[in-house]
Amino acid sequence: MLAAGVACIPLSSLGDIWITLMIGDALDRLRLGSDTAFLRGFFWLLMAVAMARGVFRYLQRWWIVCVSRFVEIRLKQDLFDKLVSLPWSFHTQSRSGDIVSRVTSDVENVRMFLGPGVMYTLGAVIMVPVSMAYLFGLQPWLAAGMVIPLLAMGFGMRALSPRLHRDSTAVQESLAEIGTRAQETFSGVRIVKGYGREEQQSRRFDESSKKNLGHQLSLGRARGITHAITYGAKDLTFLPILLVGGWAMIERSFPAGDVFKAIDLTFKVFWPIIAVGWMAGIYPRAVASAKRIEELLATASDVVDPPAPVRLANVRGELSLRAVSFAFPGAARPALENIEVQVPAGSVLGIVGPTGSGKSTLLHTLARLYESQGEVQLDGHPIRTLALADLRGALGYVPQDSFLFSDTWRENVSFGLERALSDPELDLLTRNACMRGDVARFPNGYDQLIGERGVTLSGGQRQRTCIARALARDPRVLILDDALSAVDTETESELVDNLRHAGKGRTVILAAHRLSTVRHADQILVLVQGRVQARGTHEQLLAREGWYRETWQRQQTQAELAAL
Amino acid sequence: MKYWKRRSAADKQRENAELGEEFVAGAWDTQIVGRLVRLAMPHRRLFLGTFAVLAVLFVLELAGPWIIRSAIDGPVADAITARGLDSIPFDSKPYINGLLVWVLVYVICSLMTVAMRYLEVAHLTKTGQVVVADLRSRVFSHIQSMDLAWFDKRPTGSLVTRVTSDVENLNEMFTSGLVTLAFDLVRIAFLLVILFTLHAKLAFVVLLLMPILIGVSLAFRGGARDAHRTVRGRLSKLNGYLQEVLSGIRVVQVFRQEHKVSQRFGGLLNQYLTANLRTIFLFALFFPALDLVVNGIQGATVWVAGADISSGELRIGVFFQFWFYVTMLLNPVRELGERYNVLQSAFASAERVFQVLDTKPSVESSMGASTGNGLVNGKAPAGNHVRFEGVSFDYLDGVPVLEDVSFEMKPGETTAVVGATGAGKSTLVNLLLRFYDPKAGRITVDGRDLRDWDLKALRRCFGIVLQEDFLFAGTVRENLDLGREDVTEESLELALEASRAELVIDALPDGLASSVAERGATLSTGERQLLAIARALAGQPSLVVLDEATASVDSGTEAQIEEATGNLLGGRTALVIAHRLSTVRNADQILVMHHGKLRERGTHDELLAKHGIYAKLYRLQFAEHSPART
Repeated sequence: MLAAGVACIPLSSLGDIWITLMIGDALDRLRLGSDTAFLRGFFWLLMAVAMARGVFRYLQRWWIVCVSRFVEIRLKQDLFDKLVSLPWSFHTQSRSGDIVSRVTSDVENVRMFLGPGVMYTLGAVIMVPVSMAYLFGLQPWLAAGMVIPLLAMGFGMRALSPRLHRDSTAVQESLAEIGTRAQETFSGVRIVKGYGREEQQSRRFDESSKKNLGHQLSLGRARGITHAITYGAKDLTFLPILLVGGWAMIERSFPAGDVFKAIDLTFKVFWPIIAVGWMAGIYPRAVASAKRIEELLATASDVVDPPAPVRLANVRGELSLRAVSFAFPGAARPALENIEVQVPAGSVLGIVGPTGSGKSTLLHTLARLYESQGEVQLDGHPIRTLALADLRGALGYVPQDSFLFSDTWRENVSFGLERALSDPELDLLTRNACMRGDVARFPNGYDQLIGERGVTLSGGQRQRTCIARALARDPRVLILDDALSAVDTETESELVDNLRHAGKGRTVILAAHRLSTVRHADQILVLVQGRVQARGTHEQLLAREGWYRETWQRQQTQAELAAL
Repeated sequence: MKYWKRRSAADKQRENAELGEEFVAGAWDTQIVGRLVRLAMPHRRLFLGTFAVLAVLFVLELAGPWIIRSAIDGPVADAITARGLDSIPFDSKPYINGLLVWVLVYVICSLMTVAMRYLEVAHLTKTGQVVVADLRSRVFSHIQSMDLAWFDKRPTGSLVTRVTSDVENLNEMFTSGLVTLAFDLVRIAFLLVILFTLHAKLAFVVLLLMPILIGVSLAFRGGARDAHRTVRGRLSKLNGYLQEVLSGIRVVQVFRQEHKVSQRFGGLLNQYLTANLRTIFLFALFFPALDLVVNGIQGATVWVAGADISSGELRIGVFFQFWFYVTMLLNPVRELGERYNVLQSAFASAERVFQVLDTKPSVESSMGASTGNGLVNGKAPAGNHVRFEGVSFDYLDGVPVLEDVSFEMKPGETTAVVGATGAGKSTLVNLLLRFYDPKAGRITVDGRDLRDWDLKALRRCFGIVLQEDFLFAGTVRENLDLGREDVTEESLELALEASRAELVIDALPDGLASSVAERGATLSTGERQLLAIARALAGQPSLVVLDEATASVDSGTEAQIEEATGNLLGGRTALVIAHRLSTVRNADQILVMHHGKLRERGTHDELLAKHGIYAKLYRLQFAEHSPART
């Protein structure tokens, strides 16, 4: 397809030149005498050539640009698949906005080069030399004279391009500064107003605005020069035509038709030359973008299947952590230090501790979202020796941020399965996730769109939807990352009961801020600064002085206070 | 892939509704144009200059082909005629000289054109940017003057857009929109007239065929706009999904659904591709179609001119001139569609900008409250006696935040407010600073309703330290004096001493001249608090509003802050949202807010003895941080 598109380029370019030559010849012919039959024949031949040329141009554009779009789609799909496969540690280090803009703008840069870039350049490569060669054959001096302004234009543009680049960067930067100033003022509006500093802020804003104006004017002047050079070169190409062509006509009867050809071809080579200049500008950007894309595609994931994984047929759900430690790259202290826990199959483990104590990180290591030090075992096998599919297939996970897709409720709950859940299946899940009343109030029931374009769920509803989604896979190990915080206390205890009993013998791991969540757990870990500070049952921990008791009392007081 | 099919109107509407794209009915709105013209009026000189440049340029552009024609029909044609006469030996010299004169004229004309081309862009840019810079400042000041309730309803990002990209778009309106469009129309009219005077029959052919060109251009414009909108919409859906998946990557990976999201993304990619194919198709069709029409016009011109050229009735030079002018005529016609689209998006921006400018702030100094210098009846507020009288307030109708709150702050006394999160503490501060006006009841300062004081004069009495103690980009000194005229070198120094912020300043590389990164990122929380206190002290306020920061700091800084707070409150009337035990202990009265109501009041000891809400709060908020517990 690309080859066919490229093949169309010379055909359409030559057609364009042919049209000029036809008109030129016709003019000479007409000066000898008019002839209706000739004129009619001329017109229809011209239209036929024009038509054919149009078809080639259509095909050329269609094929080449389509190919560039296919490349774009392919690159985006590859990048997407790569991103989805990269471990959590990669994603915590890069902001998703950056990645999206990389995928978008880098791919676009590459596409611009492959599509319109190639098309215009090849067009110019045919158009310019052929036209020039033809004119050279007609009148060498004339052609030579025409080349000079065109070359001068090329050099002029090149000399100017650093300034244009500098000015437009300065404009962009000063615009960004304006944005920052506005952002600063509008988000700090209380201080601005409180101190009556509106005038000062306006003054500072005006300063930035003035700076931008200065850069804009400088850029305007640079663009003015570019514009003047470009069109000046075009005007000056007519000078040799007038001088040499006129001279030749006077001396040796150079036919007027040839003058016409020179004029018309000048119009026609002008745009391709400018296009090449544009192309020279985007080429380095395309190369840089391609490099970045390659880099991302070449990023290796450190969380991969082992070469010969141990297969797990029936997971019991027994977990044990041996000397598990983890530190974020560049962090001063480890996020987890030497964690030792045994979680018998079918038991409930509670994990509590102040914010930033490592609760979520501990849960992430269980799902092997991070590669940690020490050993995490599932049913006695180190999870590193298990296929990721087996390990994660055994887990149900409810994230802290209650992430849901903007999709239907049914699709969201069915996310972990290969098929959409049926209504009776969903009935059971909604009961277990204490979501019946809520779903009953959705206008479209299970098929209610949720998220930005649908209904907005409350925090508690989101959390319970996430729980339903995790339960849908009937996991042997259920992990809840502070996933009950927005659920009221009554529903909470009902839910925790359901989680244990619905999946006979299921292991449940609950991280929580609210201690009432873990109250009935078989074992509770108190994490402080990545270390296990205390462990035991609720009663045992209450009996001891420490973070757990203090926090329990505070939370009780808070509850009392709220009830007043 | 039905990219060649026109999508039904219903389809389009559904997709556009999904994307939340606003439909602008037409590209022309007389009212908006009127306002834009009024904006441009102060800069009419620039606009007149631009028009002058464009006019001169147009004349020069017309002159070029005329010179070529004159040379060809003049010396060149004469030479050919002369050579045809065999009677006299042919001497080319006079003709060459004649030609050279025209060449010289052409060179001069070209050089002038170059200068004008430069001015065309440089001056047009200047015109647009000057108007826009003006407008930008106005929009900024206006937004700044809006009340906080207005800010609450709008994300900061969208406000920033008003002074950045929307205003930039208006630049397009002034330059490539109004000015160029207006001038293009003038050019087209003039060129047509000139073509008619050159050769009426040929001009008639061109005029007859031109509507086809306009038709193609406009038909394409509609299709291209729709197609672009669809592409944009689908691209944003695509990017939205990518963003969504990235933010939920843990769920995707733990649930092992990489292939599912990949398929879904592939589906969106395909939709995006289909939309793109439609634009490619349109463009691939449009450009050749346009050229075909142009070639048709050219062919027809030659056909019609044929007989006249043969008979010598149409001289070849005139034909050339005509050809040049036709080219000049067709370019702006071709670009009509493009211009229309630019105008349309600029109108949308103009509408949004004017909407902002048309909204009046609801919290304003009352009319006639002050004489320009901020004095009421010749008096500036002393600002040391405050009374809340039955004040009620809600941010959202029906969700009361304050209910019937009354209390008095006597001159020189510290009033501490305590309560759980959401009890209404910050709202008290917001109302006292008149960020909002109460829904019922009133607040008086020096016995006069807040609404009757001049806003500026009133706020000048305040010293404010808020939780989000905000530092602006700039030097430390700028952040401390905030451009207040009443902050002197002396008062600043005293303030730094009293706030213990001297030590912070001393530790900075350039002292007061050090620059503060945005939002005070280079300073620690404790240091920012000290600086905020210094800032308040520097204005020698009579009324202090302090929202103590909750974030914990090390014990050394804690002691400094405690001392600084003491110095700030000492002898001044103060309203403090207290989070520090020393503050509540030393307060003259403590107000206990609970669910928007004032539930208890008294001194620390009185309230503790009550065993009520305060006692509970005390255990919750202060007891554990209290060094006095030991």
